[in-house]
This record gives sequence, C-alpha cells and structure tokens, in this order.
Amino acid sequence: MNLFRSFRRWSTDMGRVFRNEWSLVLGDVGVILFFFILPLAYPIVYTLIYNPEVVEKMPVAIVDNCRSAESREFAFKADACPAIKVYSFPADMAEARSQMAAGDIFGIIEIPSSYARDLATGQQTHIQFYAEMSLLLRYRSFLSALTDLQMELVGEQTAEKIEGHGLGSLAVSGMPVKSHSNFLGDTEQGFASFVIPGIVILILQQSMILGINMICGTSRERRRRNGGIDPKAVNGVSASATVWGKTLCYLVCYIPVTLYILRFIPEIFNLPHYGSPADYLLFIFPMLLASAFLGQTLNYFMKERESAFIIIVFTSVVFLFLSGLTWPRYAMSPLWLALGDLVPGVWGVEGFIRINSNAASLAETATAFKAMWILAAVYMLSAFWVTAYIDAREKRRAAEHAVETDKIATH
Amino acid sequence: MTDTGFLAGVRREIRRMASRKMYIFGMVAVPVLMAVFFLSLLKPGLPLKVPTAVVDLDHSSMSRTVTRSLNALELIDISRKLESYDEALAGIRRGEIYGFFVIPDNFEKDALGGRTPTLEYYTNLTYFVPGTLSFKGFKTVAVSTAGSVVRASLVSLGVDPEQVGAMLQPIAIDNHPIGNPWLSYAIYLCPSFTFATFALMIMLMTVFSITMEIKNGTSVGWLATAKGRITVAVSSKLLTHTVVWFAIGLFISWLLWGWSHFPVNGSLGWLLAAVALLILACQAFGLFIASVVPNPRLAFSLTALFGILTFSFTGFSFPVQSMYGFLAVFSWLSPVRYFFMIYINEGLNGYPLFYSRMWYVALMLFPVVACSLLWRLKKACERPVYVP
Repeated sequence: MNLFRSFRRWSTDMGRVFRNEWSLVLGDVGVILFFFILPLAYPIVYTLIYNPEVVEKMPVAIVDNCRSAESREFAFKADACPAIKVYSFPADMAEARSQMAAGDIFGIIEIPSSYARDLATGQQTHIQFYAEMSLLLRYRSFLSALTDLQMELVGEQTAEKIEGHGLGSLAVSGMPVKSHSNFLGDTEQGFASFVIPGIVILILQQSMILGINMICGTSRERRRRNGGIDPKAVNGVSASATVWGKTLCYLVCYIPVTLYILRFIPEIFNLPHYGSPADYLLFIFPMLLASAFLGQTLNYFMKERESAFIIIVFTSVVFLFLSGLTWPRYAMSPLWLALGDLVPGVWGVEGFIRINSNAASLAETATAFKAMWILAAVYMLSAFWVTAYIDAREKRRAAEHAVETDKIATH
Repeated sequence: MTDTGFLAGVRREIRRMASRKMYIFGMVAVPVLMAVFFLSLLKPGLPLKVPTAVVDLDHSSMSRTVTRSLNALELIDISRKLESYDEALAGIRRGEIYGFFVIPDNFEKDALGGRTPTLEYYTNLTYFVPGTLSFKGFKTVAVSTAGSVVRASLVSLGVDPEQVGAMLQPIAIDNHPIGNPWLSYAIYLCPSFTFATFALMIMLMTVFSITMEIKNGTSVGWLATAKGRITVAVSSKLLTHTVVWFAIGLFISWLLWGWSHFPVNGSLGWLLAAVALLILACQAFGLFIASVVPNPRLAFSLTALFGILTFSFTGFSFPVQSMYGFLAVFSWLSPVRYFFMIYINEGLNGYPLFYSRMWYVALMLFPVVACSLLWRLKKACERPVYVP
C-alpha cells in the first residue's frame, strides 16, 4: 500500500513539474528560440547553403603546347564535361600559374607538344593536370571528370589500334571484362544529400541541450536572488520527479519539431528519404530522451542564463566530427571513439542516415538503438544526482549568506 | 588619480578575468583543446582501409587474384568475404561495410571464353569520404583486371609487350595536387576548423565580457574607470584580451605548423600576421554585435548563429562559388573567410603576398566598422538595462 501511495505522490509531483515547466518554456523568448525557431530555421539555411549539391563548371586553363587538331579536340571534349569550364588558353605555364594565383582558375591542363605525334605513332602520351588544392571536393570532381574523359578518348583510340593490328575479334567484343559501378545511398553524389541528414539530428540534440541549460541558468539566477529557492519552480519535490516532469515536457515540445525535421525537410529539399517513418521515429525517441537527460546533467555548469552559449555552442562542431559524418568512425583512435560513444547524437546520426539513405530497418540499426537507450539510462541517473546537488548547494549557500548578513546586521 | 585611465582599465579587466572560470574556459581551454582534438582526430590524413567486402560467386583462381589485388590496396580493407548480394546489402545497412565488390559466377570461364562478364561494385555514398575512397579502389582494380586480361591476350597473339601499354592506355593523365600531394584531409581541415573555432570563441567571449558588464550593472564603473571615454574603456578591455588571444593563437600556430609540420609554402611571418588580424577582426565583430544589440541573450544568439554558420558558408568543404548568390554574400561578412583565403595563398599554395593583399585589407576594415557604433555602446553602458 505504501509503495502504491508513494508512487501516486511521485506521479502527482511529476505532473506538477510538467505543468510548471510549460510556463517556463512558453514564457521565455530565449527558450522558444532554441526549442522551436532554431530547429525550424537551421535545416533550411544549411540546405540552402549546400543545395547546389555538386560543383559544376570549375574554371580551368589549358596550356596547349601541341596546337593540333587532336589537342583542340581534347580541349573541346574537356569543356563539354559538366564539371569543367575552359576559362583560358594561356601561352605558357607561367601565365597559367599567375591566373591560378589570382584565383581565376582552379586547375591547369597541360597538353605536351608531342601529343598528336604520339597518338599517331602508338606511343603513350601523358597529359599533365595541376590542381589547386584549397578544396578536396573540387579535386575529387576534377578527377572524376578527367577519368571519364580519359576513358572515353581511350576507348576510341584503343578500338582503332587493336583493329589496326588485325585483332578484329577483340575489337568487336571490346574489353573482355566489363566493370560497372553502382552507388548506394547518395546516388547523385550531392553534398547536401550527404551532409544534411546528419546535421539535422545534431540540431535536434544541440537545440534541446541549449534550451534546457538556458532554463536552468535562469533558474539559478532566480535562486541567487531569492535565498536559494527558485520561486518559479515546483519546490519540495524529489529530484527524480523534477527530472521526469521536465523531460516529459521537453519531449512533448519536440514532437512537432522532430516530425518537421525528419519527415518534411528531406521531402521539401529532395534529399534521400527512403526509411519508413515507423523506423526512424521509433529510432529517434531514445536519442531525444538521452539528450534531455544529458542536458539536465550539464545543468551543473550553468551559473547564469547565458552560460549555455559559451559552454555548449562549440560542442556542435566537436559532435559533428565525432559522429563520423565527415571523418569515419573506423578511422578514429579509441579515445575519440569512446568519447563519441558517450554522445546520444553520434549514435543518432549513425543510425538515422542509414535508415534514411540506405533504407535500413530498425533491426539493422539495433546497435545504435541499444546504445542510445543505455545512454538514456546513464544520463537519467546523472540528471537525478545533479538536480539534487544543485538544489542542496544553492540552499546551503543561501543559508550561509543569510547567516553572514545576519551577523553584519546585528553588529 | 591612478585608478582611472587606460592602465587602470587593463588592471580592472585582469581582475575580472581572474574572477570567473568562464574566461579561462573560453579563452584558453576550448581553443587549445579544439586544436588538439582536430590534430589528433585527423592525424591519419586519409581514412584509409575502408571496411569493405567481396562477394565471390566464382571461387576460381582469377577471382582469387582479383580479391588479392583488392586486398593489396591501401584504400580498402576486405574485412569480410560474403556469400550473396543480399548479405552484403544488409552489411551496408548495419554499418559493417562501406562498399562491396561482386565477382559473378563463371567469371573466369566467361572472361577467357570471350563472353564478357561484368564486375559490379557497390559503394555507399551515404558516407562521402569512405564511399569515394572505396569507389576509387574498386574502380582501379576493376579496370586493371580488364586491362590485364587484354594484355595477356595481346601478348600471346604476338604484340610487343612494350606497345601493349600504349595500346591499352594511349592517353594517360598525370595528376599533380599542388601543395597537398598526400591528399591529406588533415592539411586543409585542421587549420581551417581550428581557427574557425578560435574565431567563434573570440567573438563569444568578447560579447560575453561586454554584455555581462551591462547585465550586472558594472558598466557604469567600467566607463568611470575610463573617465567616461568609451574608446579608452573598450580598448583597455579588448586589448587585454588581445594579448591572451594572441598568445593562444601563437600556441595553436605552433601546434599546427611547428609540431605537426603542416605545409607553409609561403611566409610564416605573414601568416602569423593574418592570425593577429583575425583576432582583432573577430573582437571587432563581437564589439559590433554588442553595440547593435547590448542585450546579452540577443547578442549571444546572433553571434552563435553567425559563428556556427561560418563553418559552412566560408567554403571549407563546399565552395562559395557554387552557393546561391544571396548566401555567398554572407561569407564575405565573416573574418574567417578572409583568413581562410590568406591561409590558402600563404600556407598551402605559397603565392606571393601580392595576391592576398585584398584579404589583409578586408581584415583591417573590421575594427574600423566596429568603432563606428561605439556611441550606441556608450549609451547602453551609461544606463544599463537588463532584459532577460
């Protein structure tokens, strides 16, 4: 009976905290900004930034030392590649280099003077390509375009040569072995399609943590002004009821935002979106839970309302890298792997992009799913401890302060 | 009166900085730890040995040769040998492999008998970098397998082996990645992200130090220490910070270009000058935001918003030239963009200083623009109002 009664009392307390938290969230412009505006606007901004997706028409200079019909054909075919735009035909390498230094071109193609002669006599000819390396994405696009160009030119030449040697049978059947590449996931190799599904998960986590810590910072300021007690909070309630009441409030806040980010943003921007909502919505639930608990654990550090900005904002960059999106997790040292394992968003990214872009099911992302539940349990306990500790410490400090001021007053 | 004036302001600021752990955290701990983080994380340069699989349906000696060639590449690591396409796809979805290579059954028989089998390879571009690396590895092996069969046939038919190379690949394109021959991600990601985070913290801490004065009402005392002159007040506060920032900036530069030996093909002196100008420009940016919106929450929100978006629109990973025009404009508002352009010219490419002259001028313009709004800050400091 006792157990039942104390559970009833606990859930009533939790309900009071839940209701009270709504007024704290909705009455605070700063928190509304974090919980609602940030997740609404950031995905749109990011997708707009990366929406051009592929790099096209990168200016290139061709230093044509051969100046023959064949070399002009090469230049013409190069210009026809979607990735390359022939910007100029400099007289020599020095002129080309100064154009590159000025930032007018990002690559130099040098055709040797023996180009036409080598092709005619059956010698191998080497074309030089000098790439400016400020962006690896450009280099990769160049490489891809030039390889395709080379394959096409080579295909024509080889067929002619082989026939010329009287090996017609080979020429007819072409190469004896063909190869075919297939892309999975981000089949158009678009940048937004690759990066946005990961970033939006981190946006969910970071905006929640920032909002929670802003609420806590504000509460700490009120405590300092009111003798260790926050007049706007539900007091005299156990730490676990406080944590659960707040968490439920935050989870409800995040239902529309999550649906918007996970379902509508990919649709609006034509990003890969192959997973089923049942899979990814169920998948993301433990991540939201763990993020809410993690946010309340970080309350330990929030002395004032604006602390969240300095302490939390830079972690977005850290978590982005730890998530394995830009640098894969298999190539990380054990230290960073372990640190990444502690972050709910890292598991969220791992699982969500596979569900979203590779049509994985919840069963196939089971490792990430289980990890997020474990993190939720661990951070729940730490959130209990931090909440109780802050409460006790603020009350103790206020009591000491009161004793001091009494001492001064009575003297 | 020695407790007013520039030096008094500096002493006051040092006392303030020592009184809160936040300053050590934001000014020293975060920038240094981020530099160490990036350096350590990206140390391999390229994430080689991508976990991939081979689905060998042929089990012939030729297919085993192909598998051996695949394994010999440093780009990929054949971590599994699977029995079917479905198993491989499931492995992709579970995240165990990033790509797989399929050798069809009767491969050897068909190849030698002229029935042209097709080698299929699948790469998961959900993860850009491993996907493209495994694509490169698979393609190399697939094409060279085809080439070696043709070569064997041609040589056996009496073609001179020297000529076969020229026949199979009459046009070869030699690639020269200037400045980064190792194709190392670390060389261009580490400096850019480290300094972008550095810039973010500079802007945030500048906004913090100014708006906290207004919030706590101590801005009146701050102005009084400077005898009511906002220029002296701001310069005494921010230049104290500049000393700290420059020390941290020098340390980070040493970590990157000294200890890790990242290339500096141009002049290190001018690069360090760019670091100093970046610090001043970021402080100016923070000062500008604090002057426009002296309210802490708003100022922080704007700064954090801009600072985080800086990582994206300054073109570290996706070129500014390819972004939509109205967004690319924002990249020119960020000091980090100019620093990045200078780093490319001086560090990576080693071009003469002439080509970077406009970026240096741009960085120097930031403090000038920030000073234009000091009158607003003075009004906010004289009558501090805090709106949560």
